[in-house]
Amino acid sequence: MKILKGRVIVPGKCRGEALSSKKPISFLGGVDPETGVIIEKNHDLEGKCIKDKILCFPHGHGSTVGSYVMYALTKNKVAPKAILNEKADPVIVVGAVIAEIPMMDQIEINEINTGDLLEVDCEKGIVKILRE
Amino acid sequence: MHLTREEERILDGEYGWACQTCMRILVKLGELYGATKLIPISSAHISGVSYKTLGDAAIDFLKAITEKNAKVKTFSTLNPSSIDPYLTDKLPRNLVEKQFEILKLYEKMGAKLSLSCTPYYEYIPSKNSNLAWAESSAVVYANSVLGAWTNREGAPSALASAIIGKTPNYGVHKPENRKPNIIIDVSFQPENEVEYGALGYHLGEIVKDKIPLIRGLKNPSLDELKQLGAALASSGMTNMFHYKETLKLNEKLEKITVEKQEINSVIEKLSSSKREKPDMIFIGCPHCSLEEIKFLAKLLEGKKINSKIEFWVCVSKHVKKQEKKSIEVIERSGVKVLTDTCAVVTWTRRLGVERIMTNSVKAAHYLPTMNNVNVIVVPLRECIQISTI
Repeated sequence: MKILKGRVIVPGKCRGEALSSKKPISFLGGVDPETGVIIEKNHDLEGKCIKDKILCFPHGHGSTVGSYVMYALTKNKVAPKAILNEKADPVIVVGAVIAEIPMMDQIEINEINTGDLLEVDCEKGIVKILRE
Repeated sequence: MHLTREEERILDGEYGWACQTCMRILVKLGELYGATKLIPISSAHISGVSYKTLGDAAIDFLKAITEKNAKVKTFSTLNPSSIDPYLTDKLPRNLVEKQFEILKLYEKMGAKLSLSCTPYYEYIPSKNSNLAWAESSAVVYANSVLGAWTNREGAPSALASAIIGKTPNYGVHKPENRKPNIIIDVSFQPENEVEYGALGYHLGEIVKDKIPLIRGLKNPSLDELKQLGAALASSGMTNMFHYKETLKLNEKLEKITVEKQEINSVIEKLSSSKREKPDMIFIGCPHCSLEEIKFLAKLLEGKKINSKIEFWVCVSKHVKKQEKKSIEVIERSGVKVLTDTCAVVTWTRRLGVERIMTNSVKAAHYLPTMNNVNVIVVPLRECIQISTI
């Protein structure tokens, strides 16, 4: 079992399957707020649904309206269970705050692959990779 | 971050969910950027108003905030919406209604429906005052030209600051972070607003988030600086520039020289459609100043616009009201003077527009992706030459 450490941005605990990307994500225009499906063209997660996943990506980019899209995801019950970033940026931080999605940054995203079973503790700042 | 007792209470939810959420936004951002406290602001400028850019997701959040009766605590202006009275009959009813719904929510919060990207024409913030402004072109103008202090806020953080009346003290709210850290020597004189814009765009690409001291510009006008700053903010993350050579530098800084040729290639790169006739001409990105309106009236006096071209001049209600005579001259030529919106934040494709000519480098940056149109960037004089009979 691998253990990764990070910095807590929004507290919370959960366990779930990782959806991991090498690319930054823009929530505005990149994720459908109704379905939680990634719609950005040529994104490595295009077509994947983020609902109930532990969404891992380096950082956000694009419009700050993206934070509101994250709020809508929670409201529409298609939000990820947690967000793990390499480097927190204001769009994702504000989005995680208003959407109440547990979040950490300074996590080695490269260590996490899509499908890994993770236990995320956004209280202590620890991610356990239970099953690769 | 140090919070006062009152701020702690807001954070703990004693004043309800809306204020708590806004406070959490400010505290989290403050922590992220190393702020030590919250400081009062003299105004907020809120982006995220146009339904076209905002979509339904944001309406939910704005509704939740207003349902709890949250009100702005400081003078708060709003960015452009997606409609002007001229457009309400031309666009699908449901889009217009959604836009009105958004405006009502902001109105309920107590924000002023200024609906312009140039809040500084309506009220000039005093020098060295702290603001929380979104709208990157206004941020750069406030910091660089007006000498007021604001970070480049996003839509939610500007809203949160408006409701709390404060902002975290990081970034350019600290004097030591307002100093230039790269010198740009411009080896030529930009000849018109497009060249100023292209210079800004080029700088944004090379300086990224550094603050440039731009040397070599001889008496640029406020409008030329506005074009430079707007373009700088669209290609880069900088939130201010310096242009006065009297500025004292204590340390040796990296220097970059910019040649005319580089500016020409920026203009070429942004003009996707060469010399085909445009369906639309768009002036007013950022919204026109009084001087620009007067100059336009001078150029358009006695002229008629080709009826096949939709010619838009976008301006704030405030400026439109102040210069009625010039507006009459402009409208007599067949040009439409729109307030509360601009070509980038409305649905030009639904109006059948495929090719837009503009004198704004910022607009040229955003139009192809946000409006799915081809763009031609030329100075105002050329726009008028092409469109008048």
